[in-house]
Amino acid sequence: MSINWTSFVIQVVSFGILFLLLSKFAFGPLFGIMEKRRQLVKEQIDGAEKSRTDAERYLEEQKQALQQARKEAYDIIELAKTTGSKQADDIVEAARSEANRLKEEAVREIESEKNKAIASVKAQVSGLSVLIASKIIEKQVDEKTQGELVDKYLQEVGTKS
Amino acid sequence: MEHIAPIVIIGGQKVDLSAIIMMVVTSIIVFVLARLSIRKMSVENPGKLQNFMEWVVEFVSNIIGMATDFKRGKVYLSLGLTLIMYIFVGNMLGLPFNFITEAHHGHATFLGMDLFMDGKDEAEFAWWKSPTADAAMTMALALTVIVLSHIQGIRHNRKHYFKHYVQPWSFFLPINIIETVAKPLTLGLRLYGNIYAGEVMISVILGMGWVGIPAMLVWQGFSVFVGAIQAFVFTMLTMVYIGQYSIHEEDH
Repeated sequence: MSINWTSFVIQVVSFGILFLLLSKFAFGPLFGIMEKRRQLVKEQIDGAEKSRTDAERYLEEQKQALQQARKEAYDIIELAKTTGSKQADDIVEAARSEANRLKEEAVREIESEKNKAIASVKAQVSGLSVLIASKIIEKQVDEKTQGELVDKYLQEVGTKS
Repeated sequence: MEHIAPIVIIGGQKVDLSAIIMMVVTSIIVFVLARLSIRKMSVENPGKLQNFMEWVVEFVSNIIGMATDFKRGKVYLSLGLTLIMYIFVGNMLGLPFNFITEAHHGHATFLGMDLFMDGKDEAEFAWWKSPTADAAMTMALALTVIVLSHIQGIRHNRKHYFKHYVQPWSFFLPINIIETVAKPLTLGLRLYGNIYAGEVMISVILGMGWVGIPAMLVWQGFSVFVGAIQAFVFTMLTMVYIGQYSIHEEDH
């Protein structure tokens, strides 16, 4: 092994030149690009993180809105149910009172018809009895006595009926 | 016949032409590779080469992170990248082929310059080799980074830098000096030894003829592995030494 000192010196110089050239024309721009990429990646990660939290927030809001809507729907249904049953009760009640009213009316009518019928029967009966009685006692009593008799009987009929 | 380096003598100095050629070729390949990788640079849609280069950057960042504190060692990222790419490409260059010219009658020229043949009549010149298979060049790299680490140590961490020579006691001064001298030697010679041995082995296998083809395949693969490991080790140790001298934790 022998060291050639000119090679040595030339190597030192040429390595120095290569180093300077590479630093200036190759590595400098490359480092710049890598730094930019680092920035870009960092920004994108930050952005992604932000959108993730946003998404979570929106999801939470949606959930709450859904919950709210569900509660309202439940309330509405409950209200409708109670209103419905109350109305049904009202209708049934109204129908019942109407029916009672009609029944009572009918009963009253029947009563008055009955009374009317009885009164007319009474009148006819009294006429007929007078007729019959007059025919039977035509010859025995004078008109004055006859009148007294009829009155007497009529009074009896009135109290007995 | 042994291959010798094509050397010309300029101003009394032996200048190794193949070494210069290989330095230039390696540097050009590294530079072109780096330039290509940032040609269509894009933040969002990096090309294949850009991806690869960014992977290398991450890799060297990890090396620095392992060796020292990455925040403070960040300034040496370019140095580490240049080192690892230069050494790796250099290690790989010697593998695929060689380029040999023969000279007879004790005379050969290159671009009008006489090649130095050490007084022999016949020689084979090897023009192509790994630049890292030359001790001069690995030592140049090693000394460069070691000197750099000392300079940075003196500049940024002066108190600790001078104190560490006499730690734990002043009695250790010679040992610490030996250690300091040994660092560039081991750094440079480790790389040189590995790559040079690989090339020697390749030429030995070539001498086996056809029989050597399977062995050649295996050895080439292994050399790729060794080349990658050595580039990694060199960069790693550079960062460790720089870290030791200049980026020192205050609490120990």
